[in-house]
Amino acid sequence: MKNFRDIEQLSAYLDGQLSPSDSARLESRISADPELASALSDLRAARNILRKLPARKAPRNFTLTRKMVGLKPPLPSTFSFFRFSTAFATFLLMLTFAANVLIPRISFGAGAPMMAQEALGIGGGSGGGCDPCLPAAPAATEAPVAEALVATEAPALAPSADMNIAPTATAPIATEDTARVAETPIVETPSAKDAANAPELQGQPEVSTTREAVIPLSWQITLLVIVLLSALIMFGVRQSAIRKWK
Amino acid sequence: MDETALIHSAQNGDLDSFNTLILHYQDSVFHTALRIIGDEDLAQDAAQEAFISAFRSISSFRGGSFKAWLMRMVTNACYDEFRRQKRRPTTPLEPDTADGEEIDSPRWLADPNMTPAERSEAVELEHAIQHCLDALPTEFRTVVVLADIQGMDYSEVAAASHVPLGTIKSRLARARLRLRECLRGFEELLPSSFRLQEEGNS
Repeated sequence: MKNFRDIEQLSAYLDGQLSPSDSARLESRISADPELASALSDLRAARNILRKLPARKAPRNFTLTRKMVGLKPPLPSTFSFFRFSTAFATFLLMLTFAANVLIPRISFGAGAPMMAQEALGIGGGSGGGCDPCLPAAPAATEAPVAEALVATEAPALAPSADMNIAPTATAPIATEDTARVAETPIVETPSAKDAANAPELQGQPEVSTTREAVIPLSWQITLLVIVLLSALIMFGVRQSAIRKWK
Repeated sequence: MDETALIHSAQNGDLDSFNTLILHYQDSVFHTALRIIGDEDLAQDAAQEAFISAFRSISSFRGGSFKAWLMRMVTNACYDEFRRQKRRPTTPLEPDTADGEEIDSPRWLADPNMTPAERSEAVELEHAIQHCLDALPTEFRTVVVLADIQGMDYSEVAAASHVPLGTIKSRLARARLRLRECLRGFEELLPSSFRLQEEGNS
């Protein structure tokens, strides 16, 4: 048995992997050394047996299907556009609903304690300690009951609305805030009805009886239409791409 | 077959082009897997996995021998199969007759052009060689299958096995030596043609 270095050389020699000079050197050694020649013969025999091994054919085809490799149909760029527009319009639509529900609550939430005081008859004419409102209070107290009521209501709403408007909230210059107050059950008290009959208030615009939406309904409808149309087009584009791909 | 064009198309996601390549290489891929694993069903699984992996990573093919690249996928799939076998060892099932006896010449070995004697010789030879291959360490077996059964040169085997050229030389020499020793135990089983050829060589 030759050393492993010789065996490695002989194996490489069999495969023609030795340089010409190494091959020539090894050939001279093989011719002089019968043991080396026998080892080469053994390696050659092993290699020949392997090479004679009949090649086995594949028992079936290994071709791949799209499902096997998880291929998805190539979608056109318009699909991405409509997918984005659907998502964005849906987001905006949700936002409008949220705005319509939350913003009025926040506004009325600030005015609620004062209105509750009014309902209980403990509000007083000074308007709940709102300092900027104090100058208006004396005038309000001299005015008829209705004027006083409106004047005291205005400062109460002032923190949630515009602070610059609230101090001047006498009856003739009643703001939209006062109009909103009219919607609440508090203004349905007899004193409020008297106030409505006061001559100063008769020239004011008619007060809306329903809560006004922050985002108009028409916008919401438009957004809804955009959502539906985009989704429909997106679906159509996808189906068309799948059909073409198949 | 314009292999380069097919590879390029496959890299762009054209599955049909890749399937053409599969049809061209599937016999050698299956044969390699069979010789490394030694089990027909597992070899089929490994070959299928190799082709799936090859398609998924064909964008990483940067030229050179496509066959060597594909063989690398096969050897990896075979190693994965060995790892699975280690985790979940199973008892190999030989094809049996209705009486429960093992079939000597399974259907898939049948070659209509061979005489019964030749067929018997081929089966015996195949069994003997596969037995000796199975006795080799996996890394030696892979190298000898790629070099001697698939006829790949050293650089291709090195690329397919992901080992240096020097290691390939060394492993191949060791594997041939061990195979020769193993096959000596099957002298009488080896077909006469091989024994004569052997004598002629020595």
